[in-house]
Amino acid sequence: MSSDVIIATHDLNLWYNSTHALQSVSMQVKKNNVTALIGPSGCGKSTLLRCFNRLNDLIDHVRVTGEITLDSENIHRPGTDVVSLRKRVGMVFQKPNPFPKSIYENVAYGPRVHGVRDTKELDRIVEESLRHAALWDEVKDRLSDSALSLSGGQQQRLCIARTLAVGPEVILMDEPCSALDPIATAKIENLIDLLKKEYTVIIVTHNMQQAARVSDYTGFMYLGKLIECGKTSQIFEHPNEELTENYITGRFG
Amino acid sequence: MDRAGTQMGDPGRDSGRNTAAALRERGIKTLFFCTAATAVIVVAFILLFLLADALPIFTLVGLPDFLLGQTWAPSAAEPLYGIFPLIVGTLLVTFGAMVFAVPLSIGTAVYIAELASPRVKSILKPAIELLAGIPSVVFGFFGLIVLTDFIRVVFDLPTGETWLAASVLLGIMALPTIISVSEDAITAIPREYREGSLAIGATRWQTISRVIVPAALSGIAAAIILGIGRAVGETMAVMMVAGNAAIIPDPIWNILSPVRTLTGTLGIEMGEVAVGSDHYSALFGVAVVLLVITLIINLSAVAILRHIHEGSSARPGRKPLLPAQLKEPVSRSLKYGLIGVVIIFLFAALPVHLAVGILLIGVAGYFGRDRISRFHIEKASFGLIIISALTVLIILVIILADIVINGLPALSWEFLTQPPTDLGRGGGIYPAIIGTLYLVAGAIAIALPLGVGAAIYLVEYTREGRITKLIRTGVDLLNGTPSIVFGLFGFAFIVIYLNVGISMLAGQVTLALMVMPTIIRTTEESLKSIPASLREGSLALGATKWQTISRVVLPPAVPGIVTGSILSIGRAAGETAPIMFTAVVFSQRFLPDSVFDPVMALPYHLFILATNVPGASASKYGTALVLLILVVGLYSAAIWVRTHFQNKIRG
Repeated sequence: MSSDVIIATHDLNLWYNSTHALQSVSMQVKKNNVTALIGPSGCGKSTLLRCFNRLNDLIDHVRVTGEITLDSENIHRPGTDVVSLRKRVGMVFQKPNPFPKSIYENVAYGPRVHGVRDTKELDRIVEESLRHAALWDEVKDRLSDSALSLSGGQQQRLCIARTLAVGPEVILMDEPCSALDPIATAKIENLIDLLKKEYTVIIVTHNMQQAARVSDYTGFMYLGKLIECGKTSQIFEHPNEELTENYITGRFG
Repeated sequence: MDRAGTQMGDPGRDSGRNTAAALRERGIKTLFFCTAATAVIVVAFILLFLLADALPIFTLVGLPDFLLGQTWAPSAAEPLYGIFPLIVGTLLVTFGAMVFAVPLSIGTAVYIAELASPRVKSILKPAIELLAGIPSVVFGFFGLIVLTDFIRVVFDLPTGETWLAASVLLGIMALPTIISVSEDAITAIPREYREGSLAIGATRWQTISRVIVPAALSGIAAAIILGIGRAVGETMAVMMVAGNAAIIPDPIWNILSPVRTLTGTLGIEMGEVAVGSDHYSALFGVAVVLLVITLIINLSAVAILRHIHEGSSARPGRKPLLPAQLKEPVSRSLKYGLIGVVIIFLFAALPVHLAVGILLIGVAGYFGRDRISRFHIEKASFGLIIISALTVLIILVIILADIVINGLPALSWEFLTQPPTDLGRGGGIYPAIIGTLYLVAGAIAIALPLGVGAAIYLVEYTREGRITKLIRTGVDLLNGTPSIVFGLFGFAFIVIYLNVGISMLAGQVTLALMVMPTIIRTTEESLKSIPASLREGSLALGATKWQTISRVVLPPAVPGIVTGSILSIGRAAGETAPIMFTAVVFSQRFLPDSVFDPVMALPYHLFILATNVPGASASKYGTALVLLILVVGLYSAAIWVRTHFQNKIRG
């Protein structure tokens, strides 16, 4: 395994009850790159994403076999601290889910639960995270307003800022733009491009143009299997598999 | 940029903090588990103590003779312990109450859900909640003074304390339960059904009667069963108006005969019985029978409601409640049975010619229905529905008006601040007010932590499994237990077995057990209303379970929890049966010095004034009004908190 791989899965299988939702998925995610997961609805791409921070643990009757490593450490090893795993692997959800608190408190929430009490330090983290999420200029005068008063796109960038404030290494994004309009989408896409300098981003999207625009690597999934994974340009221009080509050229999906 | 380092400190310290945090997480979870287990333990204890005290009578008389014996004469020279007349009394009173309440309730529920304008709704819904908030002893007081007198005059009887009075009063008390649960069921019907039917060209009434009500039928059935449970378990009101003769009405449909219920027997005789005697044991036997009946009723309602709930997610392969081939005959026999029963009652309750007239109109309507324009049918049906809603409103107004008009003159500064004199005929009710406040404060201090903890455990910490099922069943059982049974348990366990004596503490614990299910339920509901995405968002940031619960889930759930607590306080403040044998005395000039002293309480004071003290009319109404203001004030506060914070969260 080369040193620039941050997350890798090996023969990963997942069942919901008796549904075999992920079938022998093996893939590698490279550090400081954007990896997109594409595929038709229900193909397992979101399920795979939620494996990386073990958020599937919250769902009843889920069974996982195989291996997922973060920096070469198996995250299913007994005794793994799920809490610190999730600190290292942040997540942005499909629908913006700001807490019903103020803008400031939303961003400060993560550092606070991880033990930061110093107000100056918190102020610094909040400002820096909001700047990183390209939201600072829009909200700096109303940090104490409710986060629910923001527009959908702003809420999503707030959720990104909230994730950044914890200082993750990897950011998982589960269709982060599907609830947003084109302008807000463009802002988030620009942001993803900036983020990859410091973070590794894995994004699930059902929008192929988006995958082509923002990602360096793309994995195509179909019916729970990872059909193919490679450089985005290669996947979109010279796919190895016929299934991939059919999907990309819009023959199904 | 190395922000992780600067923010979180060095990794070594970090992992040290993590093990401590993990330990704390586990401790918190264990704590919540213990609170949740309390419900099950309490149920087990209640059953254990009732059975243990009832066992002697079962062995002495034998279970068949106890259940089917025709005579209840515990204080005769040769005592007889047959509770059959009591069981029949309970069934008859409950049945009569349902005949009165079901049509009114369903009509009102349909009116609120389908016909009422938002403005009317905003009057009617709080009015019904108000009706639910009136303490049962106040209903009993009203029944005793107004209703029985009305029946005495109308039917020209020596006394109006009859089966009819008890049924009407219990029917009124069951109205709010049936209305609100039915209305929820009707409101939950998806709009598509309504639109689909209307789009075909059906009238509104056709849509309501053929699409909406059938779709909501199992919810309405559950509502009726809950109403039955409420009626069967009621003690104070029924005991004050039923006449309490332990006889089976002769003939069986003679609604003007006095009857005695299981609960009434407990309420009347428990206070005067020698501890440990056969009679004492027989009363616990009665309580066991009562408990079994209410448990069956309430668990079946819970089962139906849960079935609806899970049915909406439409899992394939779920067994329907009734096998398909049984559904048709069952519903048909229910239908004809109901019609038959209504006819019998028409003839029993009304003069013959009136009954025949109504019957003829019904028959003519049934056979002539195709000749009448469906728009006329709609008008007639809507008329009946509006009449039923109006009736409910008028009943509320009559009760409130009677108590307020007669009670206001009695209110004075002295009445509120002086102890009673001359057996409550003079002086004031200060010790009773303070006693009620003490009782309620103590009860809520015990029930709130236990209830909220249990709810947090059930919602946040468990996956549905055997343990949660057990706990939930325990909570359901506790919720369905009649308040008089809590009173008996409190007496047998706390007063006698723990030797605490009749004391404030015993009353507080008993009330706490009684209101705990309400707190658990409402807390569970408000926790469940917090979207899962917020929890995921917090966990995805690396927050621990407890951090997520305490900082993200609980704060927005607080208004719901506060509402539930206030409702519980209101309920505890108005209850008589649980404190009657555990905590209260009638007349006491002084306030209690410690929790081991007995106290006065408003509901009990009213009960004694109304039933045992002749010529205390002013103080009676005054006490009823003070109690009403206290309880209704609490309920209004709960409603205000709910709407106010709902709007705030939405805005």
